[in-house]
Amino acid sequence: MTVTDVLVCALGAVSLGAAIRVVTTNQIVRAGLWLVVALGALAGVYLVLTAELLAWVQVLIYVGAVVVLMLFAVMLTRAPIGRSDDLDRPRLPAILVGGGAGLGLAAVLADAYRWSYIGLSGVEPGNAEALGREVFTGWALPFEVLSVLLLAALVGAIAISRPEVGERREES
Amino acid sequence: MPVWLEIAIRVAGVFVAFLTLPLIVGQTEHKVMAHMQGRLGPMYAGRFHGWAQLIADGVKFVQKEEVVPGAADKSVFRLAPAVALVPYLVALLVIPLGPGDLVAQPLDMGLFLVLAVVGVGIVAVLMAGWASANKYTLLGALRAAAQLLAYELPFVLAAASVAMAAGTLSLTGIVEAWRPWWLLWQLPALFVFFTAGLAEIRRPPFDAPIADSELVFGYLTEYTGLRFALFLLAEYVGIVVISALTTVLFLGGWKGPFASDTLGWLWTLVKVGAVAFVIIWLRVAFPRLRVDQLQKFCWLGLVPIALLQLILTAVVKVGF
Amino acid sequence: MELPGKGLLKGLGVTLKTMTRKNGVQQYPDVQPDLPARSRGVIALMEANCTVCMLCARECPDWCIYIDSHKETVEVPGAARARQKNVLDRFDIDFSLCMYCGICIEVCPFDALYWAPEFAYAEGDIRNLLHDRGRLGEHMAHVPAPDAHDPMGEPSKEESTAAKKGGAR
Repeated sequence: MTVTDVLVCALGAVSLGAAIRVVTTNQIVRAGLWLVVALGALAGVYLVLTAELLAWVQVLIYVGAVVVLMLFAVMLTRAPIGRSDDLDRPRLPAILVGGGAGLGLAAVLADAYRWSYIGLSGVEPGNAEALGREVFTGWALPFEVLSVLLLAALVGAIAISRPEVGERREES
Repeated sequence: MPVWLEIAIRVAGVFVAFLTLPLIVGQTEHKVMAHMQGRLGPMYAGRFHGWAQLIADGVKFVQKEEVVPGAADKSVFRLAPAVALVPYLVALLVIPLGPGDLVAQPLDMGLFLVLAVVGVGIVAVLMAGWASANKYTLLGALRAAAQLLAYELPFVLAAASVAMAAGTLSLTGIVEAWRPWWLLWQLPALFVFFTAGLAEIRRPPFDAPIADSELVFGYLTEYTGLRFALFLLAEYVGIVVISALTTVLFLGGWKGPFASDTLGWLWTLVKVGAVAFVIIWLRVAFPRLRVDQLQKFCWLGLVPIALLQLILTAVVKVGF
Repeated sequence: MELPGKGLLKGLGVTLKTMTRKNGVQQYPDVQPDLPARSRGVIALMEANCTVCMLCARECPDWCIYIDSHKETVEVPGAARARQKNVLDRFDIDFSLCMYCGICIEVCPFDALYWAPEFAYAEGDIRNLLHDRGRLGEHMAHVPAPDAHDPMGEPSKEESTAAKKGGAR
């Protein structure tokens, strides 16, 4: 066990524990805050694995924007302090979907790597240059496809949030 | 020098800066604001022109009773000031003071790290506002979240423009690549970055989340004593961080007309002080923006300017 | 059309100018304020001028002046009969009621009441704001000398009468 192993395991445990709290707690806003902890610990794992850029992107996008947006939406609508007892939580389907996806991914990863051990010393650190080169050469197509997906989501959000253009005109 | 000693010295240096610079900025704010309004400001604490006023304030805050509202979510309420403070502490770690080794932790990704952790501050505001169980604090927190989410975009875009120009994400690298004519080239980005930075730290004229004339004291309404002092400290560290970032990214950091190599750290401090003065000055001179004006200014003013600046930077970078 | 942002720049200019200019703050407990002579600080009583006519007490909107007196008989040598004279026993002003309108000073026919710029007589107990005639008399020390007569103005009544008498003589 090296220091890296210990750190990865510890951060992973923190992330897992926080993730479990996210789905088990009865307090909606606290679930969001536990999500911050889970995603932050995940960023820590990336950092230990020398994927610096990924770690900070994780913090910037997920902690700084996505979770904040979720918390914002929850607080705007309904955010009681203390327990909410009327949460509907489909236990069995959730366990099936979440656990199934998790176990499936774990199985695939375990099968792919078995017991092979990759040291960090020989690995190129995941800095902006390396990541940029990868994204704009080998992964250019998936990158562009994702961009189109995001663009579609943006246009969709605008379309949903806009009042009906035709109606407006009739009024005025 | 053994590694652990060097690390200890660097961390201690950042900690000292973390504790002294905000106090200096705060004291300057007291005095500058007072004189701009035709007053004298604190004059008694410490005999000479009230230099010890903030120390006296600190002693007072420590003595105050720790009041936690009965309906509050107590653990979240107690944790919020720490969450507000830590991101700025981390940000200070990577800001270079002078050429070469005068930085606590030289990072390849310095700029990215700073942008990422500064954004985390929103979580603390939301925590504080929501956990206080008070409608004014919640309104303040929601205003803050809306404001910070909006201004994050021009903030990052303006920083990206400089990173593109310098071809690196390292703060030290950006200062090394900086040339005086960038002042003109990156002027729109400087404006956008500074303005969005003001909004990020919720300073007037962007203090709608605190807005003491409408929301009591925004998300800080229920805080007293030491925790309130920590939030205040976070605000002033925020000023230091934003000033330092503006200095490093746009004003050439430790580069000056003369003696850049030996007195670089002094140049940085002078520039940081000048930018901090401007931040204080704006607080005195400008009224608070309304919430809708705030959003409009961001989306219709800063974001287009930042995007145009990105195009300009790319054209100059590729074309010349 | 005005340049956009002109007002903002003007605001910055005004604040900067105010900062560089010396401001006229007097730090009160260390520096006594130089108040104008006609400041309404406290009402002083010149007891010798008071004839106990009660005009001030009656005109006071707050009824904050308390006057008690008795009559004394004065034997004037050579006069046909003894004269009577009002002697002041009590003259109190309750400054917790007083609203500093100055009507008592205006109505006093014999100039027994004066404004003085003394203002630092706050008390821990409201009852101590009732100043008795001794205390009111002490305030006379703070009453500033009257303004010099305007050289271009009409001469005072006393002066013109004296001049007339002198001329007649």
